[in-house]
Amino acid sequence: MKQFIFILATCFTLNSYAQTRSMGGFFPEASLSYKISENYSVTHKVESQHGLYDDQKWDDKFEYNHSLTDLQSFIGKRLSPFVKVDIGYQYRIEEGENTHRPIQQVSILQRSSMFRIGHRIRTDQTFFKNEKFLFRARYRLKSQIPLNGVSLDPGENYLAFSNEIIYMTQDGDDDIENRLAGALGFYIDDKNKFEIGLDYRTDDYLVDNRFRNRLWFKVGYYKSL
Amino acid sequence: MLFCFSVVFAQEKNEVEKRVKKKQVPQSAKAWMKDAYEKKSRVKWYFQTDGEKKVYEAKLFWKNKKHSIEFDISGEIVNIEILIDQDEIKTHAAQKIQQYFDDNYSKFSIKKIQIQYTGNADDLEDLIDEDEHDEDLTINYEIEFYGKNEDADELWEGLFDQDGKLLEKRIVNIKATDNLDY
Repeated sequence: MKQFIFILATCFTLNSYAQTRSMGGFFPEASLSYKISENYSVTHKVESQHGLYDDQKWDDKFEYNHSLTDLQSFIGKRLSPFVKVDIGYQYRIEEGENTHRPIQQVSILQRSSMFRIGHRIRTDQTFFKNEKFLFRARYRLKSQIPLNGVSLDPGENYLAFSNEIIYMTQDGDDDIENRLAGALGFYIDDKNKFEIGLDYRTDDYLVDNRFRNRLWFKVGYYKSL
Repeated sequence: MLFCFSVVFAQEKNEVEKRVKKKQVPQSAKAWMKDAYEKKSRVKWYFQTDGEKKVYEAKLFWKNKKHSIEFDISGEIVNIEILIDQDEIKTHAAQKIQQYFDDNYSKFSIKKIQIQYTGNADDLEDLIDEDEHDEDLTINYEIEFYGKNEDADELWEGLFDQDGKLLEKRIVNIKATDNLDY
């Protein structure tokens, strides 16, 4: 963890000359998926961001802060072995105001002899008490590359790389966010996967002097029944 | 579960494959490879099992084609599979395979084609190092395809003979995509 904080601080020190904001921390997530019929499945996911560094704080920049916790549920229909559509709902627990977010997504699987790629197109709408809703359109590409042989078998590890571009608009203002992630994956078996890695998020590209970096140390567990 | 929805002779493909070091491979398999693919040094070796059948597989690029050579557990060659394009299937076989897809699926797409040569070790060696097609060699086409009809909507692996007649097919199970989707 000390090494992680050092990397975090080094990255952000380099950025401190520009008008940027930087923060980072620990980001665990877990999902549980199960089939409810031949083509329909349900997924529950919980993810939580715990801030450990924030350069906007005047006093102690390395102070623990619970950023947010998201509770998500999806119902998905598999249209073919390669295409799946989902609708979902997220409840976000956050300081200030908890929010509601409907989610719609299409997932497309692309296979090659050496790796596989998941394309995810998602739209979501976040509702607030006193503000207009936030609309986001997102595209994520995530690759999964086996580290032993050409196919991923139980007990083997893999590398996962992903990048997601998010366009968002709220009450006439729009912005872009990017999420770049790399992880080492442990394929325990097809029903249990564990990923550990870094997730680097940048946003407020279109807002003057508000550019923000966030670096998360991420661990994820994917369980299916 | 998938099995219930598949057609009569469809099985499932559930192979486990692991990379192995050259020294773990039976000597006779390595000797055959050296004789056939004389100057080729970059060969990757794998051990593959579907629970019952256990084989060693050598993978390499040869004359710009992807070759997979399967050996049984004692190191005897089983077959050679070469990745080919759709237009490399012989015309009469291609027509019959196309007919099979048209007759059996409302929607289909071919994902991968391998031409498979089975025969004795010497004939298979001549095929590679002399480019000689002995008439005793059995030629099949292993085709991975997506096929949808009223009964099934799956990824399949079908084995067609050299005339394009379907010999067997099995469902290719796709691994869970939860970590790619959420």
